Amino acid sequence: MKNFVKALMSLFFAISVTTSSWAVVMVSWGGAYTESQKLGYGDPAAKKLGIPIDWVDYSGGLSEIKAQIAAGAITWDVIDVYAMDTIVGCDEGLFVEFDFDKDFPPAPDGTPASQDFFTTMPSKCAVGNILYSWTYAYHDEKIGSKKPKKIKDFFNTKKWPGKRGIYKSAMHNLEIALAADGVKPRKGGSKLYEILETDAGLDRAFNKIKELCEDPNGGCVFWSAGAKPPELLMQGEVVMATGWNGRFFNAEIGEGAPLKQVWDAQGLDYQYMSIVKGGPNQADAMKAVAEMTSTHGLAGSAKYIAYAPWRKSSLKVIEAGEPWYKDGKTNMMEQMPTHPNNTKNYFLVDPIFWADNSTEIGERWEAMKAGL
Amino acid sequence: MSSETQKILTTGGIPLEESLKKVEKRNKIKAFLLVSPLLFFLIIAYISPIVSLLFTSIDDRMVTNMLPKTFKAMKQWDGKDLPSEEVFEAFYQDYKILIEEKRHGKLSTQMNYEKNGFKSILKKLARKMKKFEEGNYKEQIMAVHKRWADVEYWRALKRRAPTYTYSKYLKGVDMYENEEGKIVEVPEERRIYKILWLRTLEIAFFVTLFCFLMAYPIAHLLATLPMKYSNLLMICVLLPFWTSLLVRTASWMILLQQQGIVNDVFVWTGLVADDSRPEMMYNKTGTYVAMTQILLPFMVLPLYSVMKTISPSLMRAGKSLGGTPFITFWKVYFPLTIPGIGAGCLLVFIIAVGYYITPELVGGASGTLISNQIAYQMKSTLDWSFASAMGLMLLTGVLVVYWVYNKLVGIDNIKLG
Repeated sequence: MKNFVKALMSLFFAISVTTSSWAVVMVSWGGAYTESQKLGYGDPAAKKLGIPIDWVDYSGGLSEIKAQIAAGAITWDVIDVYAMDTIVGCDEGLFVEFDFDKDFPPAPDGTPASQDFFTTMPSKCAVGNILYSWTYAYHDEKIGSKKPKKIKDFFNTKKWPGKRGIYKSAMHNLEIALAADGVKPRKGGSKLYEILETDAGLDRAFNKIKELCEDPNGGCVFWSAGAKPPELLMQGEVVMATGWNGRFFNAEIGEGAPLKQVWDAQGLDYQYMSIVKGGPNQADAMKAVAEMTSTHGLAGSAKYIAYAPWRKSSLKVIEAGEPWYKDGKTNMMEQMPTHPNNTKNYFLVDPIFWADNSTEIGERWEAMKAGL
Repeated sequence: MSSETQKILTTGGIPLEESLKKVEKRNKIKAFLLVSPLLFFLIIAYISPIVSLLFTSIDDRMVTNMLPKTFKAMKQWDGKDLPSEEVFEAFYQDYKILIEEKRHGKLSTQMNYEKNGFKSILKKLARKMKKFEEGNYKEQIMAVHKRWADVEYWRALKRRAPTYTYSKYLKGVDMYENEEGKIVEVPEERRIYKILWLRTLEIAFFVTLFCFLMAYPIAHLLATLPMKYSNLLMICVLLPFWTSLLVRTASWMILLQQQGIVNDVFVWTGLVADDSRPEMMYNKTGTYVAMTQILLPFMVLPLYSVMKTISPSLMRAGKSLGGTPFITFWKVYFPLTIPGIGAGCLLVFIIAVGYYITPELVGGASGTLISNQIAYQMKSTLDWSFASAMGLMLLTGVLVVYWVYNKLVGIDNIKLG
């Protein structure tokens, strides 16, 4: 009996050692998003390269990986991160710096990778994955006959009384507050950040949010997980909620919920992949990331969720393959945050501004929330 | 007499006392050797990580060592106007070395904790510095970004000069040391930690109180009912205790939210109108309700174990001596349960003060505690030294409560079962 237990334990140990030593561990945000990544480019890449990829969920932030590195027991290889976190992680030396054109394959027509991506990367440790958007949505049946169309309507509690669901941190909220207060974002949204850099501008944005949250006809519910906004809307906890366009799309098209998105003053934001320095499987991780962010890899994930691929060449693949969505009848291009219909008024979330100011603004934001 | 006892010898000719001491000493060493692996394990795996993490809250050697020349040059500077060319040159030289060693990223993170806006100007400087000409560094650095000409940023730099600092502790109570060395409060709109400390104490206190008020009758019933009923009741107490914390928290969310079951019942019975459903979730109320329910067993069990040992004949004796039911309860029963009350209250209060997951999920904006802020510093800003400073403050607070309790009631009086 004892021998049997011993044999069993050594077997488990052997299995755990071997599987962990050759599967690439990819850490992402879970839910519909991880599903799209896994089906869209994870599984195909794993099949092609013969490298298994394990998917692990996390809720953002770099504390886990920092702790793993500090303890010398790194178990993550690739992390799906915000722009700001690639900057901080690169500065802290947590991530591998890329040699961009050498590490990533060119587009099918030969355009080098650095030209094929929409913009330059915020740090040397980042490779673009998807473009997503902060929009707001409402419940089509509960909202009444008049439908909100502009960002101003999100703050209009006279016409649409009821609570609003907003993100738990200041990010994105201050931008839409200014946009709703009449600031034209200008192309790319640089005007918003210029104003937020000044004290008066910051006050203006904070007051607008505070007004909404303290309004007896309004009020704020703060969400943190991406799955929450559609849920809050469906339960009727809020009349409108900001959220990520892919999640709204998933609820609306994927699950047939009566939600409608408003694209006015949408905040375009990027999602990146970074490779952990000294991860258990760094070489394979590099291969897997290069394959997943290739033209066909990125186009693949758009089959499952309405986030835009970062490569221009991937958009061509989608356009040629419409209807691209997995149900075989929905055209994906018009659901993309980058579609011309949706970009009439938009801003780009500025990672440098937030990397700079997030602590002080964060403290002020928390102080405001505490005083509500 | 005493000289005679000294003469008692063992067979080996050694005085008995000495021989006994020797054996005892050997036994002590043996005992110590037996526990030493565990002790060693505890020190390595438990105590040393905690101590080293707490140590980071005062340790600022990293920044001090990064800019040695700058801090030396800054000694002469009074912090009133912009520093002299000498300081700028020293900073340029220090920073150049950091860029070569690829350590400048870490400096930018650290300085951004001290003063927001540092990150981008340090990065910009790193890019522009490659083209710098020799001499007149003050002008060249100031031309990179207007913030370099702002004296506030240089003051922030000077604040990071000492090797060890207590600034994180000041920050934990919304204060900082200004350029004149005075400790002052931060601007009003950024004061957050004091509010959170007070709220944490308030919520922990009331949760303890509610738990006590509810647990006392339950524990009394448990201890006095006949076995077949009390067993059933015991299961009712223990079943939620064995259920996952997250499940219990999520159940409260389903019950109490505005479109939740409790509100539905209210509307259905006509207690409230459909459009004025009370808010019982994502605020302080939610935190109170969920935490009280979750921590209730921690109060019931110690109370029960103490009440079980109180003989019913004591109450009967009290009554036969002429006491009313209330007097006998107050004079006889209640004092005997104090050890259980002490244990339960201390247990619940200490757990409540550091509670994290339930307030995070149900607290919304007005029901989150200091532990949520610590988690935020750990996770989002990565300012671990600040997080550990607040952690130590929380730990000290708990120890103070423990000390006060010991003074008032005596820790020997605690009875967990």
